[in-house]
Amino acid sequence: MNAALLRHTWRLQRLKLALVALALLVWGGLMPFIYAKFGSQFKSLLASGLLPRQFTRLGGGDVFSLPGAVALSLIHPIAMILTSVFAVGFSAFAIAGERQRGTLEVVLARPLGRWTLYFTLLAATFGFLASAIGALLIGNIAGSTLAGVIAELPLEKMPLVWLNGVMLFGSFAAIGLAASGSFDRTAPAFGWTLGIAVVMYVLEVLGSLWPDAEVLQPYSLFHYFKPKAILLGEAQPIDFTVLLAVIVTAIVWTIVVLPRRDFAAPI
Amino acid sequence: MHAIQTDSLTKHYQAVHALDALTIDVRQGEIFGFLGPNGAGKSTTIRLLLGFLRPTAGHARVLGLDMVTESVAIRRRVGYLPGGIALYDTLTGEEQLDYLARLTGRPPIRRAALCERLELSARTLARRVRDYSRGMRQKIGIVQALQHDPDLAILDEPSEGLDPLMQRAFYGILESLKADGRTIFFSSHVLSEVERVCDRVAIIRRGRLVLVEDIAGLLARRRRNVTLRFEGAPPRLDGVPGVSGIELSDGRLACGVDGDVQPFIAAIAASRVTDLTIEPARLEEAFLEFYDQADSA
Repeated sequence: MNAALLRHTWRLQRLKLALVALALLVWGGLMPFIYAKFGSQFKSLLASGLLPRQFTRLGGGDVFSLPGAVALSLIHPIAMILTSVFAVGFSAFAIAGERQRGTLEVVLARPLGRWTLYFTLLAATFGFLASAIGALLIGNIAGSTLAGVIAELPLEKMPLVWLNGVMLFGSFAAIGLAASGSFDRTAPAFGWTLGIAVVMYVLEVLGSLWPDAEVLQPYSLFHYFKPKAILLGEAQPIDFTVLLAVIVTAIVWTIVVLPRRDFAAPI
Repeated sequence: MHAIQTDSLTKHYQAVHALDALTIDVRQGEIFGFLGPNGAGKSTTIRLLLGFLRPTAGHARVLGLDMVTESVAIRRRVGYLPGGIALYDTLTGEEQLDYLARLTGRPPIRRAALCERLELSARTLARRVRDYSRGMRQKIGIVQALQHDPDLAILDEPSEGLDPLMQRAFYGILESLKADGRTIFFSSHVLSEVERVCDRVAIIRRGRLVLVEDIAGLLARRRRNVTLRFEGAPPRLDGVPGVSGIELSDGRLACGVDGDVQPFIAAIAASRVTDLTIEPARLEEAFLEFYDQADSA
């Protein structure tokens, strides 16, 4: 890992990270309020049968319990889009973007191995994700405190939720960096990464809403993101193992492919 | 020891032969020009030497280090200016130079002197790169390549975008580096600049080496265009070594002289020459001549 490159990468992303983290903090703080204010009403509505039960199953998120509200804040499209700024956007542009701009050759003209370049960017990306998801969870805790429901939140389980979230988005980031290191241009790198993330999200949502499509859910990485189960003490090691396996596979792909790639003159 | 030594260095992209069996030696402490038109293989060679590309065949040593297995160690001792350098637009000139110096891991001991010679003031360096003109970017490119005092500078079209005054300043920088024992390998399309600053030159064409020679030798071998006016009998130049293309008319004689000029001078000594013009050989003509020869071959 290269400290100068890591500092430079953080520096260039600091404003974006601050805005994303702030947005996630506010979003995370909002959900406990919604739960505290409307949770019981929603629960009655559900009990009346007016709302289909499937509405409670998206990533285990709901607004009838605080763990469910925390899970919903993490799996909601707003959180997905904000976190994808780094998990998909930054990772896909990290190498291919520099290559396309022509700055990669200025960097690689320095005594910097390609593995060093990759692992530094990987560390930076995981750092961004850890900060972004951390901000959301801090928002959850702050919101729960302000809404007076903090007693319902098992705080000791929050680090595991954070880890599960970092691993989920980290797996997309590792795929994005693998794509970024495999293509000369940003469009295919970004397209593949975004495509994979969207298809997996659709598979998970589809399986949640339509029982016949449940069989597709194990093919989605979102299926292994279980914040509510973790908060209820029902975490399964397999969820972490699958995400870890995806991250490791993407890393292995990149460390094999990247050093063997030719970097011809930028087009 | 040689600064650069390539042995049958080859790079193919499927059917495209970007570089074919290039074998050159660049001596330590010399300024070596690398000439060729677009697509000749100049940038491919540079990219191979820096480890950006993997060779199809052959190998090379840079500063005594293996191009493939010791690439990082090579880049620690090399300064590189890419053609049409790209910079980080959101950084200031100074931030850019600081960042690249930190990545290099060597103190930028030449930066102040380079900035002074290239007229890069502190005020200019405090501006963001996105506000720079092409020439200013090129100056930053030159400083980033040389600020850490590399043993070998690899410069791709280094004077591109510089005005004539800055070009002169840049030539001065090259001379200072050479005086300090540094090696400079640079590619250029500007033949007058190569002629002015280089000790030796390699000409490459369609990925193949056409020639490697020192500039003085190249020019000495180059045909000179001679025109002389005379009174009385014309000089007898038939059969004089190196003389060709004799045209005689109304007291005026034009011919070409290759190589050693002594036989020609001896041949005209007996005549009454009233005027004599010898057009000096230019690298441009030599370059074109070698290209014509390569085409014929």
